Amino acid sequence: MDALWWNLDYVAAVILFCIGLYTVVARNNLIKKLLGLNIMETAVFAFIVTTGSVDGGAAPLVGADALPPFASPVPHAMVLTGIVVAVSVTALALSLIVAVYRDHRTLEADELREID
Amino acid sequence: MNRLLASLATAAVGIPMLAGVAQLPRVGAPGAPVHTHVAAQYLAGSPDATGAENVVTGVLLNYRAFDTFGEVMIIFAALAAVLAVLSPVAEAIGMPKDQPSGTEHARHRRAPPVSPIVAFVLRLTAPFIIAFAVWMMLKGHLTPGGGFQGGAMIGALLILLSIMLERDNLWPRVPERLVRGLQAAAPLAFGVVALVGVGLTGAVLALPASPAGHGLRELMMLTLEAGIGIGGAAIILGLFLAIRGD
Amino acid sequence: MRHWLPAVVMFPLVAAALTPFLALSRAHVARAWALLVVALTSVGAVFLTSRLVIEGPFSYAMGDWSRPYGIELRFDGFSAAILFVCLIHLLVGVYSSHYAARVISATRLPWYYTLLLLNFGGMIGFAVTGDLFNLFIFMELVSVSSYALVAIGGGRVAPLAAFRYLLAGASSSVLILFCIGVIYALTGSLNMADVSLRLGETQAPAPIALALGGLAAGFMVKAALFPLHAWLPDAHASAPSPISAVLSGVVVKLGILGLLRVYQVFHDAGGAQVAALNEVLVWLGAASILAGAFFALFQDEIKLILAYSTISNIGYIVLGLGLASQQSITGATIHVLNHALIKATLFLAAGALIHQTGCRTLHELRGAGHAMPFTSFALAVGLLAVIGVPPLAGFPGKWYVALGALSAGRPAFAMLVVLSAVLVSAYSARILNALYFQPPSHERILATHEAPTSMLLPVLILAALCLVAGVLARFPAALVGPAVARLIAPAAG
Repeated sequence: MDALWWNLDYVAAVILFCIGLYTVVARNNLIKKLLGLNIMETAVFAFIVTTGSVDGGAAPLVGADALPPFASPVPHAMVLTGIVVAVSVTALALSLIVAVYRDHRTLEADELREID
Repeated sequence: MNRLLASLATAAVGIPMLAGVAQLPRVGAPGAPVHTHVAAQYLAGSPDATGAENVVTGVLLNYRAFDTFGEVMIIFAALAAVLAVLSPVAEAIGMPKDQPSGTEHARHRRAPPVSPIVAFVLRLTAPFIIAFAVWMMLKGHLTPGGGFQGGAMIGALLILLSIMLERDNLWPRVPERLVRGLQAAAPLAFGVVALVGVGLTGAVLALPASPAGHGLRELMMLTLEAGIGIGGAAIILGLFLAIRGD
Repeated sequence: MRHWLPAVVMFPLVAAALTPFLALSRAHVARAWALLVVALTSVGAVFLTSRLVIEGPFSYAMGDWSRPYGIELRFDGFSAAILFVCLIHLLVGVYSSHYAARVISATRLPWYYTLLLLNFGGMIGFAVTGDLFNLFIFMELVSVSSYALVAIGGGRVAPLAAFRYLLAGASSSVLILFCIGVIYALTGSLNMADVSLRLGETQAPAPIALALGGLAAGFMVKAALFPLHAWLPDAHASAPSPISAVLSGVVVKLGILGLLRVYQVFHDAGGAQVAALNEVLVWLGAASILAGAFFALFQDEIKLILAYSTISNIGYIVLGLGLASQQSITGATIHVLNHALIKATLFLAAGALIHQTGCRTLHELRGAGHAMPFTSFALAVGLLAVIGVPPLAGFPGKWYVALGALSAGRPAFAMLVVLSAVLVSAYSARILNALYFQPPSHERILATHEAPTSMLLPVLILAALCLVAGVLARFPAALVGPAVARLIAPAAG
């Protein structure tokens, strides 16, 4: 239990991830499912950035007057890249939703299942 | 039933996650492998090794430039994907044409009038936004910033301008080849820098080491940043125009 | 040339970005460009494989940063699969010349070839990278292009199938990224070889189990392993046929290659966890074999039958991985390659049938075997291969897996591999029966003639490969042998 308290930030990210996963599976509307996916992605980014944090740390800018300790730069780079990937997937997902709506005039998963 | 399935799936995923996350090194612990292994070398080496005081930029454009190349390809893939999915189907032989094409609707649609306040503010601030975005792109290796951030800002500005100018048909007609070229700017920049790297140092995507190639290294980094920024802005605008139905 | 390894990844991708610029709206320029790029990359792939045969696995340090400070590209026995990726993409490109122009609208056609090149380059990058986060990036590149390629043909089902594919794929990608984050938090590194060493020294069973399980689960979704397979049938069936060939032959194997990389990374880390994973894979693989074949029996649309057949064949491969013996994993790897050939044959032949006749279901396609003799012959060869008739392409992989099951002391699974061929024969017989032994029910069948050369040639080449690949299986076996041996060697320390 103590370990969960020390790593509360991680626990929060996990809870957020679970909320997102539940939304993707349980919600009926396609856009809500997509939002669930985005919540999952945000949770993972928060988790990764947190792994790089250090007590009393500053941003990893090693200019002339910067003092250690610095946060680890690798998680920041990973998340920057990850955000771009997430945006790309979301853009494609939205355009697929537009295409589905044009064809079927509905975005509810159960109605769409009837059509198949 | 769906709720039950969802709850079970969430629990099946969440409980192992909690158990696993509990045993990770404490958040913020200075002795964790995250800080003592590769990252320590990155922080100790900059800015001499990479020429970037912003170590994150050093990681993105130097140590892990190949990842950034992959990322740039993914944004481009997103644009290709959206255009592939949303372009009109009308000319295909044998395809059912029973659905109205969304783009025709868009063209006939009456755009709502743009408030004069919005137009004024946009015209006033656009030059400053562009200046700030360009500054962020070019100074990304010294301060927080970089190609993506600057590109996103310019892209957002272009979207706003397209909304504002489209109604009065003031949106300029840009030749398609130029548009496609701008959208390919980022991969192209990476390709060029990769080849130059091979020529200069014998490894792909290698930036010449300080102190001999100091100016050249900065030039190559700026090329990458500019390519990412311009390409990103062009792609963001392209995504918006495609989804809106142009 | 020392730089073939990064070149083989970067060249097709930069070329893909240039495709719209060069071709604008002229599809034939895009097609010619794409074929040229794939052909040149294939030359590179041949060089890399020959270098592997001569000197063994080799690496390349991107940006001249040594491991683990930079990104390392690594070419080992499993990476040699890019040869098959090149082959499939070449043949699909030729096939698309006629097919895509008829099926995909002219405004979308240049993007079709762009996305194919992106998919191609991404898959090569995935196969040769030695860095975990880089693996994720290329996985996403392949995935995004795949989602779009499913939907590019339009129609009533495809966009929805693509969206469901996207939800499943993106969710699993996010899970994989989370686990990469966990691994990074544990070891401070992202290089696969370095992580493998450090995980062996780390005393943290729960996060290691979490990372292993999460990565495996994510890649199981990508490989469409039962019960995480629901996204596949509609996606592969409603995509344009050359895309179905690429999806079933190449993209779905991304999950398998991912699992192999996971095994390599966790080799020294958690013996108990890996053993548990193996057990899970054995049972889920067996379930996939049965479920896929069973569902295929009840389908009427020919491409759905083939899509369920993919799920079934992934089951054999995963069963082989889970049995974790030299023979079974070698068999799994051979089947990864041979199944790509078989499934490409089947989808391209079926696509030709559908394209020429306009009929998609077995009921409507009755009698088409006589109207389109060459295409149907190729389809028949593919079906014989997928049943596993020796010495065709489907035989050696399954044979080695069955042998592996016996040597691992689990004869029941060997029986399963052999007896499941009965199920496969059943649905193959249904197809052949409809094509050859039923009178035509549709007037279009009577008026139809054979597919054009650009479509027929790749189909026949693939069918010929199905015939010989079984006999030549010892070559890929020798190629991956050392890598497999390293995989099952007892953990160090």
